[in-house]
Amino acid sequence: MNSPSAPIALTAHLIVLSSISFGGFPTVLPDVRNFVVATHGWVTDQEFANFFAIAQSIPGPNMILMMSFVGWKVWGFPGAVASAFATFGPPCAMYFGAYRVWDRFRNAPWQRIVRLGLVPVTMGLVIASGTVMARAADAGWRAAAVTIAAAAITLTTRLNPLWLLLAGGALGGLGLL
Amino acid sequence: MPRSTTSAAAVERKRSAPVPLGTLFIAFLKVSLYGVGGGGGLVWSRRIAVDQRRWITEQDFADIVSLCQFLPGPNIVGIAVCVGAKLRGAVGAIAAVAGFLVIPWTIGFALGLLFLEHAHHPVLQNIVGGVSSAAAGLLIATGIRMLLPHRGRPAALLLAALAFGLMGFGSLPLLVVLVGLVPLSISAAGFQSARAR
Repeated sequence: MNSPSAPIALTAHLIVLSSISFGGFPTVLPDVRNFVVATHGWVTDQEFANFFAIAQSIPGPNMILMMSFVGWKVWGFPGAVASAFATFGPPCAMYFGAYRVWDRFRNAPWQRIVRLGLVPVTMGLVIASGTVMARAADAGWRAAAVTIAAAAITLTTRLNPLWLLLAGGALGGLGLL
Repeated sequence: MPRSTTSAAAVERKRSAPVPLGTLFIAFLKVSLYGVGGGGGLVWSRRIAVDQRRWITEQDFADIVSLCQFLPGPNIVGIAVCVGAKLRGAVGAIAAVAGFLVIPWTIGFALGLLFLEHAHHPVLQNIVGGVSSAAAGLLIATGIRMLLPHRGRPAALLLAALAFGLMGFGSLPLLVVLVGLVPLSISAAGFQSARAR
């Protein structure tokens, strides 16, 4: 929007951030906000908040979409595409390389031990992010009951989870939560 | 192909037949479209790759999720890369990522621009809130299910509980939690397997 170098600066910054976003892209969101809102003024605070809320409620690659909205604001459609690639490109290359190494040492004794150690911690973290999301989403006891019921039904039945999401959306839309 | 091959050999060949790239593309397209809210992709990629298609074992899937937690970037894209790479190598990874991103990104981007025009409609926000509540429950259940194979190991359960508490209620940065707990957890596993030998 401002200088012609703005899209290049944004793309380069996103490439760096996506390469260090350990724990997922949400961990670097504060940095993105500083860069595009405070430092360069490409996006207002209100717009940034709206991008986040919308990206969260649309199915699909949320954080990649959010960065695309930022890129779109700076440089239209080409900016959106460039931001998307900057967000998922470098991590994809690292995932691929790391998986090849992991797979090559598939039968090494150390790998069994690393696995036995890693998986419980990771799953504790997954359950934690579920509860963090629940605390953000559940305004009252009725919404919390929906979360608990969805978890219990998923664990005890083979019901397609889409029905649970639909039920949650319907209850919310009717103003019952 | 002669028709005289034994049925066992046919079954074996069918089992080792590579997963078509189009099937991978469609599977991760579904994962992407069904996964509303943070963590949804994890729920659906496990359901499709482990439960429905039986492409990979529960253990392999848990490994992949753990590996992806340790690397930067959107972890769910990492799951697509690893499952694709496991089934078909580099082209498989590209097919899975393309399935995950291309169509959902296009739809999401168009929808998003439309939403931005009508951002604050109350009914819209209520629906999104209800879906998020249910989605949080699905994520919790997926974590519990992948923890079940470790239920016989008290040290594993203790470390899972610590990770849960520190991250869910301590609000510590993820990297701090990982660096603090993983060496402990791997030592416990090493100690246990040394004693079992």
